[in-house]
Amino acid sequence: MDKLASLLHLTPALLWMALKVIIVFAGVMSLAAIFTWVERRGSAMIQDRIGPNRAALFGKIRIIGLAQILADGIKMFFKEDLAPTDANRNLFWLAPFLAFVPALMGFAIIPFGRSFVSGGQTYHLSVLDPGNGMGMLYPLAIGGMAVYGVLVAAWSSNNKWSILGGMRASAAMVSYEIGMSLAVVSIFMTTGGYDPAEIITAQGHLPWTWNIVRQPLGFIVFFTCMFAETNRLPFDFAEGESEIVAGFNTEFGSMKYSLLALAEYSHMMTASALIATLYFGGWQVPFVKDPTVLMSVACFLMKLVFFAWVFVWIRWTVPRFRYDQLMKLGWKRMLPLSMVNLVVHAWFMSQSH
Amino acid sequence: MFITFALITLLGALAMLLQKNVIVAGLCMVATFFGVAGLFVLLGNPVAAALQIIVYTGAIMVLVLFVIMMLNSHEEEKAESPRPIQRWVSLALVAALAVGSVKLVLASPGVKALNLQGAALPQATTLQKVGAALFADHLLGFEVAGLLLLAAMIGAVALTKRNL
Repeated sequence: MDKLASLLHLTPALLWMALKVIIVFAGVMSLAAIFTWVERRGSAMIQDRIGPNRAALFGKIRIIGLAQILADGIKMFFKEDLAPTDANRNLFWLAPFLAFVPALMGFAIIPFGRSFVSGGQTYHLSVLDPGNGMGMLYPLAIGGMAVYGVLVAAWSSNNKWSILGGMRASAAMVSYEIGMSLAVVSIFMTTGGYDPAEIITAQGHLPWTWNIVRQPLGFIVFFTCMFAETNRLPFDFAEGESEIVAGFNTEFGSMKYSLLALAEYSHMMTASALIATLYFGGWQVPFVKDPTVLMSVACFLMKLVFFAWVFVWIRWTVPRFRYDQLMKLGWKRMLPLSMVNLVVHAWFMSQSH
Repeated sequence: MFITFALITLLGALAMLLQKNVIVAGLCMVATFFGVAGLFVLLGNPVAAALQIIVYTGAIMVLVLFVIMMLNSHEEEKAESPRPIQRWVSLALVAALAVGSVKLVLASPGVKALNLQGAALPQATTLQKVGAALFADHLLGFEVAGLLLLAAMIGAVALTKRNL
């Protein structure tokens, strides 16, 4: 690290910062791209079909259809870039970015491996170092920004179905945010800190001391709310195909649509990372007290990919909710449940003092 | 850094005032909120920055835009026949407000803290400190605000729900 830094005339800290940004954003983006393919193969597996397995590099190398991602990308690039006549051009152009940027930014706070010391300097494996004062408030704030991508995309395309989809999605996201935040607050309470690094160390390396065992109710609420926040089935009211064509992205084509789709999958990655960090010990390796850096990164990745797969799995297993059912579930079930969770843990804490 | 965030804040606010399209004006306001959040971070108060984004951009502005879209007014609003006296009165009021607030800010003890360097710099605010301050020093205000919000919420439900 030090040698490379001196070669590039940078301080090691600066080089590490740049490297982290590249690792995290390239990693999340490629995982999101891979998951567009996993989703199609997974749906095929669940519905007893074969799914996309034909695309091949140079017509020869078929890696179980993984080249499909490349083929999709090339196809999207060469499609005509259309905008509806009465669309608000500037906002129509801006909307995919408004959706994509917050989806990637949320990941910045998450530690994807344990910190290590090299040459007298500590290197943290998260873009925002621990102790930055924002802690877990940051993903909540950035998650709230995701609504704008959907809203602006819906409104700027000047289409009734789009606006309907955008309205539903924003209403759902805003209502589920409350239950989610309360579930996270009870984790802050029992941890005594709100930095993800603190939350991970407090959970320890034994699976029965992880927050999933300590706060199962909070986990159920948080997990459900994550589906509403990422607009995934069974809560995908932004684009209920059978009801409102394709919702907020009806009018989007070519790379614009591609960015919106990638935003959804990046959001899924961030959501899985949040679930792993908050409830499943983050980078902690089960039963290993002092894991090596590589082991912790691998373990975190495994947890992340598993939860991303759960997102896919649930999408193709559970049917879509009706809109009033979604609102009822959010306000009358999830919110009281997370309040009960908060009060119960507060009571336990007051008893143990 | 300060200049960047200050410019984002000011340009966002200016664009919001000049923009005729309500939705675009709302988005300009979001940019302003982001600039203010950046300024909070520079002042060593990341908690305030995060709360600013969660509360104002994540909830309040979304609801405002939501209502505007519900009304679905794509047309830009026509200005009413302007009365010159209104313009002058508003200019005078804004000038008085600006002078007053600048005087207040310059007189406050916080300004001297900006000159501090190195070890004398105060620690960044954390959530723990905010909580302790709320429940130890400002408990009455906190409880009153909570009660007020609860009353507002019950009032809103009572007004909109026909048969309780």
